Amino acid sequence: MRTIALFTCVIVAGFSVGAFAATEMIHQQGRAFSVESISVKKGEAVTFLNDDTVPHNIMSASKGNEFNLGSQAPGTSTDVTFKEAGDVQVICAIHPRMKMMVKVTD
Amino acid sequence: MPAPGSYRSRILAGTIASAALGMLGFSTIGFGAAVVGESRKVEITQKAPSGIDALKALYRRPASIPFPKDNPYTPEKAALGKKLYFDTRLSVTSAQSCASCHSPGFGWGDGLAVGVGHGMARLGRHSPTIVNAAWSAIFMWDGRLPTLEDQALGPIQSPGEMNMKLDDLMARLASIPEYKPMFETTFPGQGMKAKTLAQAIATYERTVVSERAPFDAWIEGSEKAISEDAKRGFALFNGKAQCAACHEGWNFTNEGFQDIGLPSTDIGRGEYLPGVIKMQHAFKTPGLREISRRSPFMHDGSLATLEAVVDHYDHGGVDRPSRSDLMRPLSLTAQDKADLVAFLKTLTSELEPTAVPVLPR
Ligand SMILES: [Cu+2]
Repeated sequence: MRTIALFTCVIVAGFSVGAFAATEMIHQQGRAFSVESISVKKGEAVTFLNDDTVPHNIMSASKGNEFNLGSQAPGTSTDVTFKEAGDVQVICAIHPRMKMMVKVTD
Repeated sequence: MPAPGSYRSRILAGTIASAALGMLGFSTIGFGAAVVGESRKVEITQKAPSGIDALKALYRRPASIPFPKDNPYTPEKAALGKKLYFDTRLSVTSAQSCASCHSPGFGWGDGLAVGVGHGMARLGRHSPTIVNAAWSAIFMWDGRLPTLEDQALGPIQSPGEMNMKLDDLMARLASIPEYKPMFETTFPGQGMKAKTLAQAIATYERTVVSERAPFDAWIEGSEKAISEDAKRGFALFNGKAQCAACHEGWNFTNEGFQDIGLPSTDIGRGEYLPGVIKMQHAFKTPGLREISRRSPFMHDGSLATLEAVVDHYDHGGVDRPSRSDLMRPLSLTAQDKADLVAFLKTLTSELEPTAVPVLPR
């Protein structure tokens, strides 16, 4: 019983760290993003989680918010913080069907 | 690199790539304005299909051909497009048609390592098949064109290929009396112009669909349709050999771009995405339908047989930063390799002969 309680504490702590780091979670399964678009505030982070079976290359060339996660292996997640307000087109360079918009507001 | 002047390498390169990706100034930006955090390992539960039946369901043929809203199918359009597709007068020499490089006799390719263009000059890359182009998300080996309509006009105008200026082409077609009424009927109120020409050709190309192959009969329940070797090959294709990571779905492609480690200097999609390491030497994953008729293989036509293709993947190719993380030595046995080839051969149909149309005079 004591062990279980301790274990629960660790999990809760783990989750709260994640929640602090990013407010939005984007999944990647079946060579697709989990949503077509999301809205975030400037300075907020978005977590890109590769929960697919193959590596993805998540990136954006939208002005002021350029980023490139390189080759993101399955089972990894990366936080991206957007600095400029505006529409950010996010793509996977490897899989052309993977596209989404991040609307960054002031 | 492709031959100079080749459409495959040149036409409006940056602009089109940018348009295709919905962004401008792609090649000049520096990455890093957004703040990227550390990558973390995450526990995930993969939803792998359970059992052979679930796996087979992923490869079922679609019931109908998708046509885009802005260029819907009509029988007249497809018929006109077929005439244009086989009409050599679309080239400046009146010697080459679309079918010269994308011939039904060679699985809608040309059977050559690399294509042959204007003046019999060798082109830089292998002529891709047009089979099942209706399902493609992006066009050309380097993905620089977003629609089949754009693609249809490319080789016509490319100096290295059909070398025909669009204005000259429309004038030439207008001088052939039987074409004009066909365009008028097919495109009421629009008539003959480059746009309708492209729409007609693209519509015909979308009707070029691989026919039922032994593999289709098998996934629909006919156990005897393919050999036991081929069934083992299918399991390997989806398992140990990892082919299905890219060659997925009924047309056996996810339209993605990978550097599969071929020893070639052609950087492919890297030309349009210079800041993305994984796109250097990356080319579009081709579908595998009608594959037995489409040798030699790869973007450079460098592998003559399916056995050589399987050997290449087993070896893993040139190890370089751009090489796909999915490419690594597979340790396939001789039996594994033979089974994979047996499976691949079940994707070729008993293709119906294609009648060459009578051309307008
Ligand atoms: Cu991807």
